[in-house]
Amino acid sequence: NIDPESLLPKLPNPEDLKPFPTTCSAIFRGQEGRVRSVSFDPSGIFVASGGDDGYVRIWELLTGRQVWNVKLSDEEAVDSVKWRPDREASILAAASGESIYMIVPFSILSPDMEQASRDVLDAGWGYAASKPSTTTNSVTKEPPGKWSRPGTRLEAKGVLLQTMVRSTVKIINWHRKGDYFATVSPRGQSTAVAIHTLSKHLTQLPFRRLKGIAQTAQFHPSKAIFFVATRNTIRSYDLAKQELVKILQPGAKWISSIDVHPGGDNIIVGTYDKRLLWHDLDLSTKPYKTLRFHQEAIRAVRFHQGGLPLFADASDDGSLQVFHGKVVGDLMENATIVPLKVLKGHKVKSRLGVMDVDWHPREPWCVSAGADGTCRLWS
Amino acid sequence: MESHAEVKVPIRLTTRDPTIELPQDAGVMLVQTSLRRPQLSSLVNSLLRPDANPIPFDILVNGQFLRTTIDEYLTKNGVSAETTLELEYTRALVPPLNVSSFEHDDWVSAVDVLSGGNVQSGQERILSASYDGLVRVWDMSGDVLATSQAPNNGGRVTSLKTARWISDKKIVAAGLDNTVRIYKYDEDTRTITTNLELFSHRWGVEDVAVHGPSNRILSASSDSTISLFSANAKENPAAPANLLPNSTAAANKRQKLSKPERTVPARGALSKLTGHTSPVSSVIFKPDDATVAYSASHDHCLKTWDLTTSACVDTRTTGHSLLSLTALPKLNLLATGTSARHITLIDPRASATQISVMTLRGHKNAAVSLDTDPNNENSLLSGSHDGTAQIWDVRAVRPSDVQGEGQVGESIYTIYRDSAGGKPVHAHGEGAKVFSVRWDIEVGILSAGEDKRVQINRQMGK
Ligand SMILES: [Mg+2]
Repeated sequence: NIDPESLLPKLPNPEDLKPFPTTCSAIFRGQEGRVRSVSFDPSGIFVASGGDDGYVRIWELLTGRQVWNVKLSDEEAVDSVKWRPDREASILAAASGESIYMIVPFSILSPDMEQASRDVLDAGWGYAASKPSTTTNSVTKEPPGKWSRPGTRLEAKGVLLQTMVRSTVKIINWHRKGDYFATVSPRGQSTAVAIHTLSKHLTQLPFRRLKGIAQTAQFHPSKAIFFVATRNTIRSYDLAKQELVKILQPGAKWISSIDVHPGGDNIIVGTYDKRLLWHDLDLSTKPYKTLRFHQEAIRAVRFHQGGLPLFADASDDGSLQVFHGKVVGDLMENATIVPLKVLKGHKVKSRLGVMDVDWHPREPWCVSAGADGTCRLWS
Repeated sequence: MESHAEVKVPIRLTTRDPTIELPQDAGVMLVQTSLRRPQLSSLVNSLLRPDANPIPFDILVNGQFLRTTIDEYLTKNGVSAETTLELEYTRALVPPLNVSSFEHDDWVSAVDVLSGGNVQSGQERILSASYDGLVRVWDMSGDVLATSQAPNNGGRVTSLKTARWISDKKIVAAGLDNTVRIYKYDEDTRTITTNLELFSHRWGVEDVAVHGPSNRILSASSDSTISLFSANAKENPAAPANLLPNSTAAANKRQKLSKPERTVPARGALSKLTGHTSPVSSVIFKPDDATVAYSASHDHCLKTWDLTTSACVDTRTTGHSLLSLTALPKLNLLATGTSARHITLIDPRASATQISVMTLRGHKNAAVSLDTDPNNENSLLSGSHDGTAQIWDVRAVRPSDVQGEGQVGESIYTIYRDSAGGKPVHAHGEGAKVFSVRWDIEVGILSAGEDKRVQINRQMGK
């Protein structure tokens, strides 16, 4: 008789997969209401957060000290904050209502960093001025995105650019080079997914017809590929050829979030139906692994982007789950996925728990955003 | 049943401190196993200096401080009463008692002491730096003697992260606005005036080191560099124009609008030390040679620098972000605090082969500040985001089970925040994080933190 258990490949012991975050080492308190989004700055010194109180805030990472804030809106929540991936300038993108704002938080920047950041945002004014808006059949077509200065109150705080689209923006994701960024407005129908060019102050709508309601969208980390997730399907598009490449079917009822592995060939998918799915793009259009660890919806999933084989999800059950996820270059070998740690601390409020998670650019540390009004650093 | 009081054990008394060696070797003695530390301390005193005031001694047995009877020690560790016990006696580290707290309006990021030299006992001065952007000088009664003015830096954050006395009339401080400032302290007029602004860094300054005799200052920055300055304005070159607060049109406008309008001389760095790849958390001069510096960085590396050539001459790579640094010169060791909640002792000499000589465990959060015991070269003080300061003795160690970790040790005493009722807080330390510690021969143990206080603890019998 052979014990069937003995035939299963042995998972490595989590102790041998250190380092990974195990404990809460700082609480960032000061927001009113839910925190919706968190983002590390590219240097790993600061964290930005946005939430229901309409504020964007910046925190000193290790101490949890709030060092900057601005109120973007009296009525609308800040649904997404994303730091632009560039260490020579410091620009934070934030979405509130139908607008995306570009922020240079000069009060925490050196003068040369402030100038470099302003230059990045200002380049597009000249471009837009040199290209008068296109007219078709003598009727001026309403552009999909209106780029403007946000007004003196916000500009005095370093909020220097506003892009208004046609429907509430829930997601912002940057292209790795920091010139393009994608936004998703789930209720926007044909204008749900937009790709913006910062240096040209230009907004484009790549999909005239999108099957289903867009949930999130992301650029491939190295190729001209773009991923769009609707409620139950993920499609990848070749941006250069403007054609559909692949359709992934995670078998989910409602996708909340996706993240592309830094290598580009694997995707994790979080769902409101409590599942975390791992897709190997080389393998199949069906998930390679389905992970059911949470009692409630998963709201966010995120790979470590700085070379550590880690990923995490955030759930309405108030916890985050940290996993080891090792991708091997060899096509014959599949990824090793090991659950490492459940991070508990956020309180569940009105059935909402942890809303977002982001990883430090280098260290095995992550920051979470809670419906309880706090952000937490885990290390 | 045999009474424990009558059981005897052979002991041999040893010490590593030449100032307290016994006049003649007492050899192996038989003592009752019911003895505890105080009786053994008396025994040493009776052999060492029977007619003088007794010195309190601690007793080390196999890397542990004796805190029970000898009998309990033998039972707990499974040691036979027939083996000769090597008892090492050391000047006692006595438990620190809480003395006083100096209250601020905002988080206190750094603390330093002016004492010794020409300073009379009781006339010591405490320097504190705060997230409110101000430095303050306090007397020993807890009264503020002087407060600096807020800098006019073009509308930037002013929070300070570090401050040191340069002399009894000069202070250096720096923080999140990237600027290193030299202040003049005038005790008579009770003023702190900025008299020099040093520009070199592109991100916040986390730490400064001072070498008084040569007037040299080192600054460690989140921009991953270290800068060397002189405290004398004229010795430094001109400031880099692109780092001046009014160098951009927008900042110039902001600076003109802000008050008070003052001009402070601006200068640049004598030299810049580059090589770290992440924020530099701490920098120190080599204690007996100010042409050498050590730095610790979030890039996991401890570096040795030759300041004459600005060259990095040695790099030790550890497994974690390094957040604090101090030297134990008599032992040829550097101690560095990590994000992984421990303190690593490293031998920086080229001959050293091990990465870590010793690992001190016990903090529950990042160890962000370190200092040494002015009375004892074997003893260390650490401050952590877990809301404690802890005292360590590098002799109280045992071999580790973990490869490459060297010896491991646990803390001797833990100092909690008076603001938290002197009790432990949650490991995340919310409201109680310690940011800075100093151990002064006159004043005692100072710790500053998120509770907006400088807390002073002094040891009994000192
Ligand atoms: Mg593969």
